This record gives sequence, structure tokens and C-alpha cells, in this order.
Amino acid sequence: MSVKQIIKKCEQLYNDIDLFYVQEWKEKHKSRAIGFMPVYVPRELIHAAGMLPVGIMGAGDLLEIIKGDAYFQSYICHIPRSTIELGISNRLDCLDGMLFPAICDVIRNLSGMFKLMFKDMYVKYIDFPQNFLKTLGGNFYQHELRTMSDDFSQINNVDVNRDDLNRSIKLYNENRAVIKELYDLRSQNPHLVPGSELYLLMRASNVLEITEYTALLREYISETVCEKRPQRDNIRVVVTGVFCEQPPLALIRALENSGCFIVDDDWMLGARFILGDVALSNDPINALADAYLNHTVCTASKYDQDGNKGAFLIEQVKKAKAEGVIFAAPSFCDPALLERPMQQKALNRENIPYTSFKYSENTGQFQVIKEQTGTFADSIKLWGDS
Amino acid sequence: MWLKTIYTAGIDVGSNSIKTVVMEFDNNGKNGKLLATDLNKIRKRDTKQVISQSYEHVLSKAELTTGDIAYIATTGEGEMVDFRRGHFYSMTSHSRGALFLNPDVRAIIDVGALHAKALVVDSRSKVLAYKMTSQCASGSGQFLENISRYLGIPLEDVGDLSMQSTSPEMVSGICAVLAETDVINMVSRGIPAGDILKGIHLSMGRRLINLLRSLNASGEVMITGGLANNKGFVAAMHELAENEKMNVCFCTHKLSVFAGAIGTAIWGAFRHVKLREQSIQSSEEKGG
Repeated sequence: MSVKQIIKKCEQLYNDIDLFYVQEWKEKHKSRAIGFMPVYVPRELIHAAGMLPVGIMGAGDLLEIIKGDAYFQSYICHIPRSTIELGISNRLDCLDGMLFPAICDVIRNLSGMFKLMFKDMYVKYIDFPQNFLKTLGGNFYQHELRTMSDDFSQINNVDVNRDDLNRSIKLYNENRAVIKELYDLRSQNPHLVPGSELYLLMRASNVLEITEYTALLREYISETVCEKRPQRDNIRVVVTGVFCEQPPLALIRALENSGCFIVDDDWMLGARFILGDVALSNDPINALADAYLNHTVCTASKYDQDGNKGAFLIEQVKKAKAEGVIFAAPSFCDPALLERPMQQKALNRENIPYTSFKYSENTGQFQVIKEQTGTFADSIKLWGDS
Repeated sequence: MWLKTIYTAGIDVGSNSIKTVVMEFDNNGKNGKLLATDLNKIRKRDTKQVISQSYEHVLSKAELTTGDIAYIATTGEGEMVDFRRGHFYSMTSHSRGALFLNPDVRAIIDVGALHAKALVVDSRSKVLAYKMTSQCASGSGQFLENISRYLGIPLEDVGDLSMQSTSPEMVSGICAVLAETDVINMVSRGIPAGDILKGIHLSMGRRLINLLRSLNASGEVMITGGLANNKGFVAAMHELAENEKMNVCFCTHKLSVFAGAIGTAIWGAFRHVKLREQSIQSSEEKGG
């Protein structure tokens, strides 16, 4: 496939809020599908049980909220409204379960609502360890993982053994390596991998079966390096704060059109949450727990045991040779907005310029944001040294 | 040292017209000289096509080819220009362009077809503060163009007619719809066109004077954008500033309408030199 065809396919998947792809997959494989909310869930467990992990990132700007607003106060973000709307409009009926990883109180409450409203669905709120000692948080998390793995075996009537899990871990390791390759390529040649294309590719991870997804990414990489694209004089920025409620695609395009190359980001973070490989071992559950405790990204929804807020972001900026940071957070996102001042303080110490704004997954007007980020880009390009 | 002339193009994509310039600089991106300008109204045509036509036209006027242009810079709706190298925001571009036309300028009023804004700048053209008109279109050039069409008066006669007014009739400065209703009432009451137009100029001007006052602007203020060449509007601005006892002096330039395009072309030259230096530095580092 050409780059255009690959991106078209990804865009179709992005627009597929009725989950037709998932329905077809289930029919074809005579199996089941488990949905999950952002940010991170151990998809290896679902895959090892022969099921399809399906990321549910709300409905973006693709669905009018009619009933969903009735479930939440006006000072709550948008993603739970559209997720409820997807559920009560029967669009999630093809899912046999839903996982709600610990992100914030809103998502925890949403998991409770799903338990009450969709009684036939397996609903699990995943508590992640707040203590990173192997003997405390590690044991707790291993117990969570074993419970989930047993639940998945039961749901799909299969016996998941060590080899099954290691096979899945290997496939997800390969996938993360290809994603890293893609991100490295973008960082080195941002004009070859526009942010909007990378975002659509990452969104495809929500539904595509992992081997198909890895192959698609490989194909994109090999095709895009041959593409002739115009070189732009843009500034290099890291976009941060978009780990849960996803920005509208048009917002990413607006950022790029305002003169920014996005050279790193935290959208679709679950697919990049583990840094490096999960070990293939005799105890794969222990390996998954160890990876969470010791080899994961820092983000606002994960407990930071060192309290060194902003250090990970600064490292991202330096590694990507970024010239500035764009803080984009969903309106009313407690984790992102609470963390922001601490991160900004850290950036101030390093003299790294930044700008900040808020969005909602269904924001439709970007003129003000474009003016803001465009002027930010100008200030770096023209006054960066003064 | 071998000195090479740098040529850059600046394209200002407005909602109503495309303004394109070509400029010449020395090898350091300094001493800019305007070589050619082109203003092309869009008039319901395909914008990208109008941009290409305007660019070709300005190149031929300057007797250059696309290969001679080191940096194509845009402002306004720059994403319409696929062949751009860089984009600069309208405030950044207009401030630089205004200072090119008059180095004493320390504030700018940019009145485009859809928006108007006031900027305060320093001697390097760095924007220190700005204010924009809010949502309503009654402070914009498009509104004035609509009114001239309703009155059946060619746009180029609007300024002179406004200057002849002896008893201007005020219109709503808050809402374009109300203002248009006011104009319809005035026409039916037989108010002379000059008085209607002067009233509109004063109403638009008052909003912009308020922007300047909130920015504490003083000294030379250049009017840029499509209305810069409307004598009636400039006279109304003078009158308002005098009545309000503001310490400002309005000026325009025959090329004021090109301020955005000129500014972006100058910044293009600046970036071209900077990128060239970075590239040399990077290859030196690689070479050890």
C-alpha cells in the first residue's frame, strides 16, 4: 500500500465508532473482544487469551452527545460523556468486557456506571500500584494481573499458559520496537512523518490485531521514507498532556499548520507506556509487573515515587531536540492540569519555552489555538536568541 | 568574502485578496529592497489558483524565476500555499512590514477584511502587546465593502465621499447586522451617502481607538491592511484621536496594504540566513 492508502485505512478505523472492524474480527475468528480506556492496560493478557483488545478513546468529534451529558456535571471532562453515549447507543455491544485503568476519579466512577448499566459485560477497574517496591507494589500488581488473566481465560473458555503469554509479550515487544522506530524517524525527519499521519497510525493500534498492526507500521515506514514532501521551516515541539482524552485530529493538523513540527507527544500513550522489552521468562506475569514498576514512562496518571516532576518531560525535549513545549490538556482534566505548573516550573529552570491551552475531544474551532501556537512558533524562530 | 544576493517572496493570503511581494537582500539578509508587488482579489475564484497566478506575476515583474527565490514565506492563511518554506503570523509580519515602510512606527492598526487588530511594537518590530476586535464584523473591511455595494458606490470613491461629509450619521459600532439596518434606515430617510460613509468610518475608528487606548499606544501609528488607502477612514481616525486628546499620530504608506507580505518576506530572509548558519555549524560539527 502507498502512504496515502495506509493513512486512508487508518482514518477509516479512526472514524469507525460503530466498531465494524471489531465485529468482523469477532465473526472471522469466532472469538471475543475486550475494550479498554486510556491510558495503559496490559494488552498482552487479552491477546494471550485469544481475544482482541479494543481501545475506546471516547468518540471525539464524531458523535453528538444526547444522553451522555445527563450523567456528568458540567465541570467534568468530555471523554466519559462520549463513552457513556457510545454505550447507551449500543455501539459497544460487540465488546465482551471493558477495562478501566486508574487514571482519575472520573474514570473510576465511569467503571461503576458501566457495572450498573451493562450487566452482561465484564467490567474491571484496574488498580495500579502506588508503591514501586517489588515485594509490595510488585506483589499487589502481580495479583491484579493474575486475576485478570484468569478472568480472560474464563470469558473466552481457554487455558492460558506460560507459552501463550510469552508469545503475546513477544508480539507486543516487536510492536513497541516498530513504534519506537517510527517515532525516531519522525524526530530525525519530521517532514517525512506528519503528526496527523502518525496520530492516525497510533489510533489504529486501538483496533487492529497486533501482528497486522505491526506489519502496517513497517509498511508505512518503508513507504514514507521514499515520499517527496516539502521541507518546512517549522519549530520542533513536544506536545504533552494529551494522554487520556484525545485531541481532535483537526487540532493536530492546526498545530502543524501553525508552524510546528511535533517531534514527541504523549497521545495514545498506552502503546508506548512500557519502555523497551518485557522479558520473556518462566514467569511472564512477574515480567509484566516488573516492566510496569521499572520500565515505564512518567505521566500524570501514574504515581511518581521520586517526586521529580518534569524530569521526564525535560529528557523528552532534549532527546527530541525540541525547541519548545506545547501543553495541551483536556478541559477539566485533573491529572494533566494539576501536574502542569510543576512541569512548567521545571521547564523554567531549564529555560525551555512553552505555551499552554485547553481543548475538548469535540472542539471544532482552532483559530485562537492556531494564533497562539503560531505566535509561539514565531517567537522561537525570530526571537529565540534575544 | 563572496557576496550573494538573497531573494525572498512574501505571500499574504487574506480572505479577500492575495498580496505578494518579492524582495532583495544582501548576503546577510539585511538592506532589504522591494522589487515587485502584486495584489490579486480572490473574487470567488479558487484561492490556490489565485496564489499561483499572483506569485508568477510578481516573479515576472521582478524578472526572476522560482529557482532564484531562497525562501518563500507566507502570512495569513498560509496553509493555502503548498510551496511555502515558512509561515509567520500576521502580527509578526505586519509589525515588521510597517517598520520597513516607516522605522519610526511604534504601533500598528491592521484592518483586514474580517478582523482588525492593534499592536504595540519596539524598534526591532517585536510585538509587545496586542488587542483584537471581538467577534463582530462591524469593525472590518468586508463590512465597509458590503455597505459600498449596497449604496452603489465604487470602493475607490468611498474615501473622497466620506471626506466631503458635513454632518455624519452615526451607526452601530457593536453589531454589523444592526449597522446594516441603520444604513438601510438612513438611505430611506434620504441621508447623503457621504454622511453615511463618514458615520461608518467614525464608528469603525472608535473601536480601533479604544484598542489603541487600552494598549497605551503613543507616537507614530501606522494603518495597514486593506483600509490603509481609504482617505476617509484615515481622516476619521485623526479626528477621533484629536477629540480624545490621544498622543498618537496616524500614518499610512502607499504600500501599507502590502505590509504583511513585506514583513513576512523580510522574516524569510532572516530565517534563510539563520538556517544557513545552522547548517554550516552542523556540518562543521560533523566534520570534527
